[in-house]
Formats: sequence, C-alpha cells, structure tokens
Amino acid sequence: MTKKYWKGIDELKETPAFLETKGQEFTNPGSIEEFLSDENLGESSTERRDFLKFLGFSVAAATLAACEAPVIKAVPYVFKPENVTPGMPTWYASTYYDGISYASILVKTREGRPIFIKGNKDQGFTKGGVNPQIIASVLGLYDGERLTGPKVNGNDSDWNTVDAKIKASLASAGSIVFLTNSIISPSVLRAIEEYKATYAGKLEHIQYDSISYSAIRKANLQSFGASIIPSYDFSKAKVIISLDADFLSTWLLSNEYAIQYGQRRNPDGEWMSKHFQFESVMTVSGSNADQRAMTRPSDLANVLNYLISKKVGNVGVANNLSSDVKAVADAALASLASVGTQALVVCGSNNEGLQILTNKLNQLIGAYGTTIDINNTVNLYKGDDEKVHQLVSNVIAGKGPDVLLMSGVNPAYTLPNGQEFAAGLKKVKTSVAISAHMDETASQATYVCPPHHGLEDWADFRAKNNEYAIAQPTIRPLHKTSSTLESLLVWLGKTGRGGKDSKVAYDYITATYAQMGLVDFNFAVHNSCTPVLSKETAPLTFKEVQVAGLPKASDLEVVLYQKAAIRSGEYANNPWLQEMPDPITKVTWDNYITMNPKEMEAVGYATTYDQENGLSLATLKVNGNSVTLPVYPMPGQALKTVGVALGYGRGANGEKIGKSAFQTKEYGGYVTDENGNSKPIGANVFSMTKFENGTYNYYNSGSISSADGEYIIAATQIHHTVMARHSIIRETTLGIYKNNDKEAYNPAHTLQKLDEHGKHVNVPVGEFDLWEEHPVEVVGHRWAMTIDLSSCIGCGSCLIACQSENNVPVVGKDEVRRGREMHWLRIDRYFASDEEATIGTRKSDDIDYDNAEHPSLNPKVVHMPMMCHHCNHAPCETVCPVAATTHSNEGLNQMTYNRCIGTRYCANNCPYKVRRFNWFNYPSYKKFTEVNPAQDDLGRMVLNPDVTVRTRGVMEKCTFCVQRIQSAKLKAKIESRKVEDSDFATACSEVCPTDAIIVGDWNNEASVVHKSSKEIRAYQALEEVGIKPNMWYKVKVRNEENKELAALQHTSSPH
Amino acid sequence: MFDDDEVLKDGAKKLVSKGVRINEVFSPFPIHGIDPIIGVKQTRLGIMAFLYGLTGLTVATIGMRYFMVVDWPMNIGGKPNFSYLQNMLAFIPISFEFTVLCAAHGMAITYLLLNKTLPGIPAQNPDPRTTDDKFVMEIRLSENPSMTEADLDVVIKKTGFIEIDKKDIK
Amino acid sequence: MQKEAAIREPLILGHKTYHDVTEDVCRPIEDKAPRMWYILFGIALIIGLYGVGCIMYLLGTGVGVWGLNKTIGWAWDITNFVWWVGIGHAGTLISAVLLLFRQKWRMAINRSAEAMTIFAVFMAGLFPLIHMGRLWVGYWTLPLPNQFGSLWVNFNSPLLWDVFAISTYLSVSVVFWYIGLIPDFATIRDRAKKRVSKKMYSILSFGWSGRAKHWNRFELVSLVLAGLATPLVFSVHSIVSFDFATSVVPGWHTTIFPPYFVAGAVFSGFAMVQTLLLIMRKAMSLEAYIHTKHIEYMNIVIMVTGSIVGTAYITELFISWYSGVEYEAYAFLNRATGPYWWAYWAMMTCNVISPQLMWFRKLRRSLMFTFFISIIVNIGMWFERYVIIVTSLHRDYIPAAWSMHYPSHIDIGVYIGTIGLFFVFFLLFARYFPVLALNEIKTILKGSGQSYKESPEYHKHH
Repeated sequence: MTKKYWKGIDELKETPAFLETKGQEFTNPGSIEEFLSDENLGESSTERRDFLKFLGFSVAAATLAACEAPVIKAVPYVFKPENVTPGMPTWYASTYYDGISYASILVKTREGRPIFIKGNKDQGFTKGGVNPQIIASVLGLYDGERLTGPKVNGNDSDWNTVDAKIKASLASAGSIVFLTNSIISPSVLRAIEEYKATYAGKLEHIQYDSISYSAIRKANLQSFGASIIPSYDFSKAKVIISLDADFLSTWLLSNEYAIQYGQRRNPDGEWMSKHFQFESVMTVSGSNADQRAMTRPSDLANVLNYLISKKVGNVGVANNLSSDVKAVADAALASLASVGTQALVVCGSNNEGLQILTNKLNQLIGAYGTTIDINNTVNLYKGDDEKVHQLVSNVIAGKGPDVLLMSGVNPAYTLPNGQEFAAGLKKVKTSVAISAHMDETASQATYVCPPHHGLEDWADFRAKNNEYAIAQPTIRPLHKTSSTLESLLVWLGKTGRGGKDSKVAYDYITATYAQMGLVDFNFAVHNSCTPVLSKETAPLTFKEVQVAGLPKASDLEVVLYQKAAIRSGEYANNPWLQEMPDPITKVTWDNYITMNPKEMEAVGYATTYDQENGLSLATLKVNGNSVTLPVYPMPGQALKTVGVALGYGRGANGEKIGKSAFQTKEYGGYVTDENGNSKPIGANVFSMTKFENGTYNYYNSGSISSADGEYIIAATQIHHTVMARHSIIRETTLGIYKNNDKEAYNPAHTLQKLDEHGKHVNVPVGEFDLWEEHPVEVVGHRWAMTIDLSSCIGCGSCLIACQSENNVPVVGKDEVRRGREMHWLRIDRYFASDEEATIGTRKSDDIDYDNAEHPSLNPKVVHMPMMCHHCNHAPCETVCPVAATTHSNEGLNQMTYNRCIGTRYCANNCPYKVRRFNWFNYPSYKKFTEVNPAQDDLGRMVLNPDVTVRTRGVMEKCTFCVQRIQSAKLKAKIESRKVEDSDFATACSEVCPTDAIIVGDWNNEASVVHKSSKEIRAYQALEEVGIKPNMWYKVKVRNEENKELAALQHTSSPH
Repeated sequence: MFDDDEVLKDGAKKLVSKGVRINEVFSPFPIHGIDPIIGVKQTRLGIMAFLYGLTGLTVATIGMRYFMVVDWPMNIGGKPNFSYLQNMLAFIPISFEFTVLCAAHGMAITYLLLNKTLPGIPAQNPDPRTTDDKFVMEIRLSENPSMTEADLDVVIKKTGFIEIDKKDIK
Repeated sequence: MQKEAAIREPLILGHKTYHDVTEDVCRPIEDKAPRMWYILFGIALIIGLYGVGCIMYLLGTGVGVWGLNKTIGWAWDITNFVWWVGIGHAGTLISAVLLLFRQKWRMAINRSAEAMTIFAVFMAGLFPLIHMGRLWVGYWTLPLPNQFGSLWVNFNSPLLWDVFAISTYLSVSVVFWYIGLIPDFATIRDRAKKRVSKKMYSILSFGWSGRAKHWNRFELVSLVLAGLATPLVFSVHSIVSFDFATSVVPGWHTTIFPPYFVAGAVFSGFAMVQTLLLIMRKAMSLEAYIHTKHIEYMNIVIMVTGSIVGTAYITELFISWYSGVEYEAYAFLNRATGPYWWAYWAMMTCNVISPQLMWFRKLRRSLMFTFFISIIVNIGMWFERYVIIVTSLHRDYIPAAWSMHYPSHIDIGVYIGTIGLFFVFFLLFARYFPVLALNEIKTILKGSGQSYKESPEYHKHH
C-alpha cells in the first residue's frame, strides 16, 4: 500500500473544474489558434497590437517548445513508506481473472504503482503462461474513463445512496436475477448462496460468457452425465487434432495450453508433437499447425465422422470431403495409428453435436485419462446459454425480473439481439450493473456500481478443482470504486462499507478459506495459490449418444472469430491491444471481412493494400443484419467462407468505454458521426451470432455484395512472403532434420579463400574480417539472444510486454498506416509462396519474383520475432555523424537519445529495419492525445521510470532491456558473484509462453544462450552481410512430410 | 593615359630603355607582359597557399587522431581505432577537405591584406576610366632623380599617350 | 597576349571595343529594371516564401509531416539535396577546370555559372539541416567538445564527411567568385552616378584600383584557387556518393558511385547553366558574348557526361546480375520492374536517350532544342536520385519491412520552395552584379574578338 499524493485540494475533492482540466497539460489557453477560434472574438476589445502580441508570443512559444522537451517534475517521498525503496521494484504474486483469461501472475510495482505484469512460472497450473490481454491489463488500471464512483440513472452518486436504494429494491423485489460472467470465486459463490437463502425462490443466478463454451458442457453432460469442461494436456499429446479451436490464442485456457504445446514443439526434445488443424479462418493455432486443412464449419462434422469411421475400422466409408481435406484427415489418421492413446482432439465450435462427436473420437483414441483429465474440471466458462436466452427474451418482452443485477457482463453488446435487450433493460424495474465503464449495458442500467480493478482488489479463485488462488491488491484503489464481493455483502445487509482501505472482502475471503479447510492464508497469499485436494468423484463413464443439429452447409458460411488482441471486445479501450498487429493479418485498429484472395480476385476485390491504397468495401448480410467492412485477403481462408472478428464496434452509441476505443482523425480528435458521437472502431458482428440448438453459435450463413468505395487499413506488414530468401527464414521437416547433417537444412554461408598451402577453401563468412576486432568475445559480458522459430507461435505477448516495459508510445491508426508504428519488437509473419518448397527455400534457382510475392492458396506460416540484433559490426553505428549510437563493451548496440540529432541514416542502414524514429512528440502532440496513454496524468503512471520517454526527433530501438541488465549486474555485484542466467531476462523472453526467446551472457560458456547459439539449428539472419549480430535464430522444424523439400535439402544445400 | 594596352606596353618599353622608372600602371584588366617591363616581381602567394594547406592537413591529422584515438576512443560499428593508421582510411576525406579549406581561405585573406583591398578602403586609381577602357602610367619625378621635368616630357611625348596630367605632390 | 587560329570561331561577335564591353555589362545594372524582372521576381518570391512556410511547419511539428516511414528514412529531402549539389557543380567546374585548361569560351559564362553554383549549394545545404529530427542541436555535427563532456563527432560517418565537404565547397566557391568580382565592382563603382550605389559598390569593390602589382597577384590567386577548386569539385560529389556507397543497402552499396555521381553532377549542372543562360542572354541582350558557340560547347559536355552516366546505369545493371548477390540482383530488378518502374524509366529516357540527340550538329546548335533538353535533363537527374534513394530503401533485405513512399504536400512544398528561393537569389544577382567577367572578357577581346580577327593588323601577325 502506498500514499496517494494530490496535486491539490481540487484533486482530493475531484471538483468538476479539476476533472475537466485534468487531462490537459497546460490549462491556460496559450495558443494563437485557440485565441482566434474564440467566436466572441468580435466583441472582445482586441486591438491589432494585442493580436500582434499574441502572434509574437505564440511564435516565440512555438520556437521554445520546439527547442526543449517539457520538464515533468518528480515529487520525492517526504516520509518513506515501509516496503517501498525508491528506485527498487516490489513484486507481488497475484492472480488474474477477467471472466475470459485466467493466470497466476507477478505484478511489478514501482513507488507503489503497478507497471508490469508477467506470468508466475513457479506457482499455479498456468505455469507462467500469460497472453497479451493479461500483460496489457496493467494499463487498464490507469484508464482515464474508468468510472470513479457509483451512478444513479447516469448521474454521479455516492455509495450510501446507491446501497440504500438497491437494498430497498431487493427487499421489495418479487424476482431477482444475477446475470454474471462465470464466477470462479468461492467467496462470491458463497455470498450468492447466502442470497439464495435470504431470497429463497426469488433469486436466480445465471452465468453468461461473452464467448460461450456451453456446448462442451452440454456434450459432456450427454457423454458423461456431468456438465463439465475437462483439463486438457497438450504436453501429453503426440498428435493434436484441432477443429476450429484456436487453442493457442483464444480458445478456453489458451495461455495454459500454449505452455504445454510449447514443451513439445522442440525437435530436439524427447518427441515432437504433430499438429493437424481443420479450420476456416487462419488462426494462430492454424498458422502453427504442421498440416492445415481449409475446412468450412459445415464440414467439421464430416471430418469428425470420417476420422471416427476410419478409427472404428469400417473402411470404404462414404465421405463427402474435398480431396485436400481428406488428405490431411488421412495423414492425421496415419499418425494417430502410431501414437496410441497419446492424442488429443479439440473442437472450437459451440455446437453440441460437434462436441459430442469430438468426445466420441477422443473416446475411440483413448484420450480420456491420458491427454484429457475429466476429474480435474475447469470451473471457468460456466455460461448457460439456454437460461441466458430465456432471460433475454423475457427482458425484451418486458417480462423481466424486478431486479436484474449484472456483473462483469455486457449483454447489450455481446448478445445477438443486444439492441433489443438494451431497450428491454429500460423496462426492468431495477437494473444494477457492476461495471467499470459506462458501457453499452451499464449506460442503460438504473444503478452502476464500478468494481475495483483487478490490481486493486482482494479476490479468490478456483479456476480448477485442484487449485485455490488469491489475488491481492497491489495499489490502493485510485477511485471511489468498490470490490464486487463487498457490494454484494453490503446489499445483503451483512456489513457496511469499508471505504478505500476496506477489509470487508479480505475478511470474507479469509473466512471462506478457512471453511474450505485450507491453512496458512498468508503463505497462500505469498504464493498466490495453493493446492486443493479434490474429493474422489465417481469415475465418469462414456456413453454413446445420438447426434443432432450439426452445422448445415450454405453457399457462404460466415465465421465469427476472435482476434488475438481484442478477443470479444473487453479490451477495446486498451490502446496497446488495439495497436497490437493481428498475428496473421498484421492489421491494427480494425476488423474486416476475411476472404480467400483467390475468391477475391474472381469478384474483383483489391488484394493488395498500402498506406494510400485501401481494400474494397463489401456489405455482409446475415439474418437481416448487415455490416459494411473492408475485405481482407486472408490466404488459407476456406473457400466459400468469410470471417469477421468479434469485439469491434464498441461504444457505437457514444458510450464512454475508453479514450482509445474510437476512430481518431489525422490531426487528432475523434471521427464523429452525424449526431456527434465518436465513431467506433470497426463494426459489431455479435448480431450475426445465432442461438441454435440451445447454444450461441459463432458461424452463420449469409451473403456478401461489394459496396462502393475503398477503405484504408493500418497494417504493419504489407508484404507477405519472404521472397524465398533462405538467409532470413530457414525451415525444414522433422524427417530431414533427424536424418541429415546441418549442411542440408542449415548450411553456413561460406566464401573462398587461400589456405596456407595456397589452396582454395570455403570458410564461413564469420571468419572474414576487414580489420582487427574490438574485444567483445571472451572479455567481460556479451549479451546475446536466440529465438527458436520452431517454438514461436506468434501470440504477441512479447510485443505487448516490450511495449509495457520500455514505454513504447502508441501512435494510432493513421501513423501505423503510414508505416510508423513504434514497436521495438515486431513479429514478422511470412506466408509460403508457390515458388518455395517451404518458406525461404526456393524450388529452383531462377524463380518468378512476381509469383513469389503471392502467398499460396493455403500457405504454411512462419512467425519471426524481429528486434535489434545488436550487431558487433553494426552498420547503424558507423554512419551516425554524432556518435549517438555506439557499441558497448558488453556487445550492446547502445542508443544515446540525448545525443541523437535525428538524421535517420542509421535506420536506413539497418538491414533488419528495426530502428524506430520519433516522427512527432508523442507524449504531447495533439494527434496522439486520444491514443497515447502517456498523454494523460493517469495514463502516465504506467510508464516505467527506468526507461526514458523519448522526445521528438530522436531514434530509438530495442535495448535488450538494458535497464534490467544493469540491475542484474548490480544484484550480482552486491552478492559479489558472477551474473547468472537467472538474474536477467528481457521482458519479451520473460513472458514467452513457449520459451522461444532465450537471453543471457554469451561470454559465459555455461549460459543457456551460449549453448543454444551453438546448436546445429542456430543461424544468424543475413549473416552474409557480415554485420556479426549478437542474435541467433533456430531453424523452423515442421513435423510433416515434404518430398519437394527433402529432394532439395538432401542432395545439395540451397541458397 | 593610354587607350590601348599594346600602345602602353610599347611606350613603357621605350621609357624604361631611356632609364625612366615607371612608378605604377593602372589598367581595367591584367596587361600580360607588363610586369617585367616596369619591374614588378612575381608574387609569392603560391608558396603561402601551400603553407596554409600544409597547416590544414596537420591540424586535421592531429585533431582526428586526438578525437578518435586518444581522447575518447569508442567502439563504433567494430571499426578499429586502436591507432591512427588503422582508422586513417575513414579520415582521408576530411583531411583533404580541411586542407583545401585552409589553403583557399588563407590565401584569399592574405591576398586581400597584401593588396590593402578591404571593405571601406577608398579607391586610389587616379582616373575613374582606368576601370573601363583607359590605361594610366604613373611616373614620379621623385622616383627619377636623374631627370628633370623637361627631360621627362620629352621622352614621354614619344609614347603615344592620349592625355597627360601633371600634379605636384607636396 | 596569346594569338589563336583564324579558323576558330570568334567568341565575341560584333565590333566591340573595351568600352562597349563595359557598357553592355553595366547597362542592366544602371538602368531601371524591366517590368519582366519584377514579375519574375514576384513569382519566385511567393513560391520561395511558401517553401519557407512549409519548412517552418516542419520544424514546428516534426519530420513526420513528410511522407517518410520506418523503412524509408530518406526520400525527397536527400533526393533534393543531392539534386541541388549536383547542379551546384557546373559553376566551379566551368571556371576552375576550364581555366586550368585555358578554355577561353568559359569567360562568357563562368560568372553566372558560379553564381548559380553558390545559390544551388545554398539550397542543397538547406536539406541536410531541415531533415534532422532536432535541427536545434545540429551544431553537434561540428567537432566541438560539448556539455556532455569530451564527446566528439564520429569521423567514420560519411554524413560527417558531407558536413565538411559541403561547407568547404560552399565557402571556397564564394571566395573564388568574389575575388573575380572585385575588379568588376570597381568598374561599376567608377561609373556609378547615384551616391548610394557609388557607396555600395565602393564597399563591395574593396577599393580596388587595378594596379599592375594587384593584377599580377590577382591572376595567380585565380589560378591557385582554380587549382584547389578542381579536386574539390570532384571530391564533393564523391563524398556525397559515399553516403550511399559505404552503406549496406542493396542498390546503395556500389563502388561505381563516385565517378558516376560526379559525371551526373556535371551533367545536371551544365543543363541548369543552359537553362539560365538562354534566358539571360535574351533578357539582358548579351547575344554577342553568349552565342551559339558557347551553347554548342556546353551541349557537347552534356552529351559526353550524359553518355558516362548512361554507361554507369548499364554497368550497375550488369554487375547486379553478374555479382550473383540475391539482394543486389533483386534491388535492380525491382527498380526496373517493381512498383517504381515509372521513375526508373523516366530517369533512363531523360538521362540516357535525350543527350544522345546532341550528336546532331543542327540540334546542339539549336537554342530552343537546347533549352528543352536542359529542362528534361534536370528532371531526369531528379528522378535518378529518387530512384537510387527510394527504390533501394523501399524493398531492401527483410520483406516484412518492405514499404511504399508517398510524398506529403509538405515534401512538395519544400522542394518547390527551394526552386523559388533559388530564382530569387539569381534574379537579384542578375540585377545588381556584373553577369559577365568584365576584366576577363577584355583580355580576350583582342585574341578572340570578331572585330580583331577581321582587322588587318591581325592578319599582319600571321
């Protein structure tokens, strides 16, 4: 806990005047524009001379402003709080749960401010697995548009009033419904039980997930008689068959699965899993699959049936699979045959029938007990679609309950019939929304009670039966918000409000803890979680059931998927996530219709795009609703399907859901529609989901027609293939890798030279050097990194972690479109072209470059994290006229911001193009007020004080988190020992779920990075340029058969 | 005063052969070959230029060695700067430029100083037309003690001038 | 005084006396300026001021107002820089190199050519300054021990070489030019009627009085400066080319650049001289001094340098294929067939094809045609730099970072603006400075003057 310092009595009282001027740095109107734009200028007695004064002033001001970076003062502690040493971070073990993602986390606080979140590798079943949303959630804490206190009918109020009113209406209510997201908090559940006791018969608790998985529970109810979601273990599965399940990015506990998956993607490991993906939209999982089939939702059943029938053994079964899908299916069967029960089938569809088939296949394989643990069930995703649907129809019909309490849900946005629901909500006598923002639902509710941010709150969780976890506060509540648990208890009349330092929730949680028979709460808090011995449950037995209501085929199947960053819209107000390039399309700040380029060419849609050339707009019609969005050429998209991402179009009616959730104009400010509301980013397609066979389904049939005009999208990558450049991407198959020597798939770049006998010999380029080396090897440290392209799944966690750690500015759509995103770490995504045997390996010596620019119909994909390589012969360093970028004697390529004069020569001369230039003054220029968190006082609190905020006109780039290196060295020095691997990790490597990124001291022979760089798969991108990078990549190994490649990589080494 | 350079040159030859010391010649453009006749020595500005250039080169060499090798050596792109020689290749362009810079400006300044031609200095040509198309020969009695004014007039008459103007310089 | 063969075409037409020469050159300075001058000056001034406005906005807001991005860190800014520097080569070359080679025909054009050089280099120098992210600390490029302790500049950087090269070139050209101007200012001074102009020109003329001794020094200084300036001319553009040649960017990293850039510079420089002179001789009725012969000589230079440039282009292409370097090969393939093919072929047509027409005597002696070609050539040379800089950067090593460049209206405004400013300076020069080197013309009046060649005296000598 720490004290909060007020700027003055105004902030303490939060007077309107203060709140209004809070955002802006200079409160007094100083600029000539403002002066002139003042409409009653006419009346004002402004003389010409005054005008000249203004002019003179503003010119002078502008000049000065241009010359000096604004100075922001830091106020030191007057009394040092205990446990806070200025300059030293304090780490808290905690737990993250937002209704969608769950993880055991570590929170880094500086001077009492949480500034960084990473996974907790030592505690909890998530084993340190996090996703971009979890890392970025720290920014949400400082969101300027979070509600700061309760509201009644949209007007500010105070807790006492609100509590009184809600209590009253609860008491008088004939029927009460709690509509919440999946609640995994034993304490909250206990509290709700108490409600049920108090309001016996009157109260119903319905759980609702924005993205429903209830089909799995229903299917298991059918197959096993228990409505459960089992634990999957991808680390035990030698064969993974995924049907439309993006289990690495958005499906269920993807952050847990990613970790397990990563353990088995290392070709040097004991064995490497083989991953088959049947999907329509190319997802992160699909991009990592060893074999991927373009499959329409309506074909999934066929695939399952085919696999099942073959598995059962009745050969010659009639199937209507297209040849290429069948090929993949057969391959899957082949490898299934060889691995026995160590296989896993997962299905992402929310169709009960499909899930039953999936269960059946898993049963046939014998996955239950090996890769699937049905005893240790997952308590998340308890949404019950049928109940929700019933409630919603009642509410719409005006037959809703007297009191409707909604917590952690936003049905007005996430329901297919959200609009009607919002209208119906008005008819409900008393509606209470526990919501952090005035979102689509809350803005319709009678009472809005903002909860604490997860980092401000005590909470307990039981995500899985065998584990109990605790979230502890890492900062004193910033606003007059209240713990949800506390509110519930207060309204139950159990207790009163505890104010900012309330212990209500804490006491209740400790009580629950004790009731569960667990001991030593403090130790549990210290670890953030503790195991729970689940009592033996009766063994579940599988029973055959009839399957009905499978997805039906249609001319155009519309797939509604989640993007890795925005998911189902909860994070639409987080600028980091909005600007995170989609792992596959690399598009930021928008959703779009994905379609296979082949089909687009047929219709005449634009298939290329850049800064000035947009994509064709098209109107998608699905059961009456229609949206007009740009059509994105998505290679690998199943033919006769289109995809649209959910989670966009938030705040369509101007709801205040966050500063960065709306479209901004080229020179700052929001794009507004005719009635003055800020235009939302993208379009909401939840209206296209459908309730069918008792579940919400995320596919539908529709029709698409081209709309006039084009739409410019902001993508960080406008070229999609690697042009068969083998020294950038090296890929091989497991077979080739196991049976051939290095030369076959990872040949060294060699040059001829005369040896001492005057003979011509080929030696690696590394041995050539024009001049005497500066001592970087052996002497002192040499920081280096290796990235394993086999392990990297392209999830984007590293990118967000880097942004959070290094104060990387957010620049907004218009700047990204201009190719000026500031991410120090980017993830290059390459599709295979028809000219390549596999990515980076040309089929023949002379290739058709035009053809090589176009991805194949269903291309292989490689994700390549790309950041500064800290070259020992850095081309960027030699060209800087003022020696602003030089080489440290620890092998780092240092960037001296305050020496930089901004010639950009270094960026031009960087072969990897990883240098980023401050085109504008991001922390103050008006264009970025809406998007860059560093521009408002609250948002600025997320900045890492160890890292300079760069000013306009200077170059910046990845530093290998030099601030962490320094503290690691200090730590080691204090303990008078050498720096070890455990002392130091960059932000990106720390959060990597698959440990693809390894950093350390290369000069320390024992270090992991040194060993890793010596492995036979290790190579340096663009090695032949002779820049001697301190970074190695490791050959991507795909677990597939590739005859073409085998032919090339066996005989001679390709170039 | 003459209206043609050739005529003036011939005239000057005659006078000099008569042992007349011609003090100065004013002309609108350089008269090639007049210098030896009236005894103007070849200027040594060229040597000066060379010396200035040499200074420039030395300064550049010493300077760059000090900056890059001695005072604050840095590892810049792994380029060797352990000794001047190793790093010299990179210094050649600037050494050259600096040499030229010093030579050119050094000489120009010296030239102006020697001529006493600087901003604000009044012109000394006896007749404004000498910068247009007339050529003036200045002969001073004081410089020719051996002759009287009369003798001078006699010899000068033969030079084919167009005007003559006598002044008593106190 | 040197004699020359009778068959040689006279360099000065008509029966001119020394006085006529003075008259012809000084008249425009002493008379009232024609209305045309005011109109042109007005237009140039407006364009120039617009450019200044754009630059102000640029400095106030940030380099982001240009169309650059993470991949393309230089585009129009450095293109314009190299373009202007190139143009700035003709002047010194004409006066210095041709002086060393005793090419008399230079005398008619060197004064204005040098003026053009100096103004062009002004414009060139502007771009490296404004392209900086933080102009206000631009002085850090000078080897000054600064507030950060003994931190010096990086002498390995071609950009730093540029700093020295450009500043040296500019200042030396100015000196060279001015020393030649002094005696001519004296002439004007001595003719001046009005008090003000008399005062002005007597200050400008440093009190020159044309003593034999001074003339003697004058000639030597001119010679030595010429000797110094000549290698300077070649070094400057070589060093500019090092900016690219020493980098690792495919399409930049080319050893052929120094000679190729110098040739290109002379090529564009002469073209610009043509453009200006053809207007000037008409406007100021100097046909007698600048006539077909001079134009033809310059056209020949253009033709030769143009051919050199053409050869360089072809060589580049060949080597890119012959080297077998994947990136190099692609860089050039992309130039010719990629998204910027139009720029490449515009360059090829303007710079390689058009000068070849100069083989036809008729064409190279036709003033209209010359004027037309001179414009074409400068367009072509601008594209050459654009091709080298942008099309090399936009698709280099890492395809994921490939990008396109679209100029912003500020890019365009700044470029047009510099052209405006250039003409503002040149018009002022034409109005107040002697546009011909009086004293030099007079020395050759006899040698190469038509009147003299026809005079009996001349033939008597032979």
